[in-house]
Amino acid sequence: MEKRLIKKDELLGIVKKVGGEFNVFAPVKLEDNVLFKPLAPGEEPLLTFANTKNAPKGVFFPRTEVMIRYVRTPKGTVLKGVELEARDAVLFGVRPCDARSFVLLDLLFDQEKYKDPYYIAKREKATVVTLACTPVPYTTCFCTSVGGGPVDSTGSDVLVTDIGDVYLVEFLTPKGERLAKYFGEAKATAEADNKKETAAKEAVGQIKSNIPAQEIKPILDVSFDHPFWDTIHKRCLACGTCTYLCPTCHCFDINDEMKYDDGRRLRNWDSCMFPLFTKETSGHNPRPTQKERWRQRVMHKFKYYVDNFNAIACVGCGRCVMYCPVNIDIRKIVEDISKLQ
Amino acid sequence: MQNPYVPYPVEVIKIVTEVDTKDIKTFRLAFVNKEDEESFKYLPGQFAELSIFGKGESPIGIASSPTNPGYIEFTVQKAGVVTTALHEMEEGTMMGVRGPLGNSWPIEYLEGKNIVVVGGGFAFTTLRALIQYMLNDSNRKRFGKITTIYGARTPGLLLYKDELEAWSKRDDMELHVTVDKGDETWKGREGFVPTVCKEVAPSAEDAVTVICGPPIMIRFTLPVFFELGFSKENIYTSLEMRMKCGIGKCGRCNVGSKYVCKDGPVFSLAELDRLTPEY
Repeated sequence: MEKRLIKKDELLGIVKKVGGEFNVFAPVKLEDNVLFKPLAPGEEPLLTFANTKNAPKGVFFPRTEVMIRYVRTPKGTVLKGVELEARDAVLFGVRPCDARSFVLLDLLFDQEKYKDPYYIAKREKATVVTLACTPVPYTTCFCTSVGGGPVDSTGSDVLVTDIGDVYLVEFLTPKGERLAKYFGEAKATAEADNKKETAAKEAVGQIKSNIPAQEIKPILDVSFDHPFWDTIHKRCLACGTCTYLCPTCHCFDINDEMKYDDGRRLRNWDSCMFPLFTKETSGHNPRPTQKERWRQRVMHKFKYYVDNFNAIACVGCGRCVMYCPVNIDIRKIVEDISKLQ
Repeated sequence: MQNPYVPYPVEVIKIVTEVDTKDIKTFRLAFVNKEDEESFKYLPGQFAELSIFGKGESPIGIASSPTNPGYIEFTVQKAGVVTTALHEMEEGTMMGVRGPLGNSWPIEYLEGKNIVVVGGGFAFTTLRALIQYMLNDSNRKRFGKITTIYGARTPGLLLYKDELEAWSKRDDMELHVTVDKGDETWKGREGFVPTVCKEVAPSAEDAVTVICGPPIMIRFTLPVFFELGFSKENIYTSLEMRMKCGIGKCGRCNVGSKYVCKDGPVFSLAELDRLTPEY
């Protein structure tokens, strides 16, 4: 594995150069928000930031995307074209939790049977350059409780770690190695590896939230009808913020839209928090209240995904904790479940 | 990579209004491309997304049997945006079909056994496909005795009337058609499906029941079959849920960790017992 060292003031220039060859997505400050978005020409990425408000999953699974175009004819509306193009892209400044979410989403969108060509096309064309969390950005971070870590490289093609005076750059995959030419010639030393290890240990020590996320599956297996589910949802506004910000939430809706004779079929993010999500044409709703919807959200992340893919569908980024308008805290929910009788 | 979201183009070649309320029609669709028909290999019990560009998609059980090649059929009640658009269509219109989706009736498991088919109202569609499949000349000997019990609220609400007539004349199938309430022309049986099942009392020996109908019918029919000695492993039904993708990705039709669209829609009662009761 190729490793290099770069001076801290070199990184911005490197990202700019990469932007000459690739479509670069990176954290950018827009008013008071730090968002993960495509870099416009001349736009500079943020190098010191905690994490982006939106999860970078949107690069592969956009909030809204055109799947199919069609046109009205005298014999009915017929297919005009399928939109499947993807450009070579570099995702710069992804946090390790979010990089890990890509691997979890792959499990769903890139299964043996029924591959999702829209997701896969974009994913295959993308190189993920992760910026390790030294130091850990938030008190709400709990990546280590769900199998990740502040310097974890899962899902990354390149891992950039701040080891004090310089960045250690590790090229982890063939895709990542294609970018090595931009990162100078300074080979990493054993000393740099040691410094990284120390920084990683320190970062893990900085994580304040430790929750029994990996221990609650057997409890959830037998708790579908537990009265506990009456205790979460009452203050929920069903706004869907938690699901829209979540790096692993993948539920979507498919909608048709026509203007004059031209139309398109779109895929849009949907949310299990919304009453309409499961409401059938007859009026019947198998998840009639917010209680069943919350049970679905928790079960999906900590039981169903484990049943189907042997992985928890949570990366511990803490976005849902930070941005829930009524302070529903998934850490407390997991904690409470672990104590259920 | 094949794109599972792109429907096959089909032409509506025949429309039959099934019921006197005129809100249930059977649509016969023919594939525009011969190779698409070959890719669309299905078994009774599977469903497909009927795709009308500009309106949307609707998951509907396939009402025809692969033993009748050249077309596929769907019996559809007019209910929402897509099915309303479908009901307004004329023969000769182009639309799309995405599938086949989901599992099927457990054909291999049914082989060599006596089959009891129980249907109620409008939920008879994939059961009709199964009956057509089993009655096919080359398939009939693979199955034992076939007993069908089918009920609707009124004679005018029975589906596939001509076919019921033809089946009633066959000596290799026992058919019991019933209505909740007959009219002046009705000469057949009157009574609810559970009661008729009790009267007919099919033997549970080497037998499997396949049942589809409104929840209220299923609720009262199941105890009859338990009493007759059918185990939960030998009673199969088909579930419905709101669906979009049909391939286990969009996240809405799960019952526990199973997706009705890809792990179902057909489940045995024994399998359903192991799932959460959320449907």
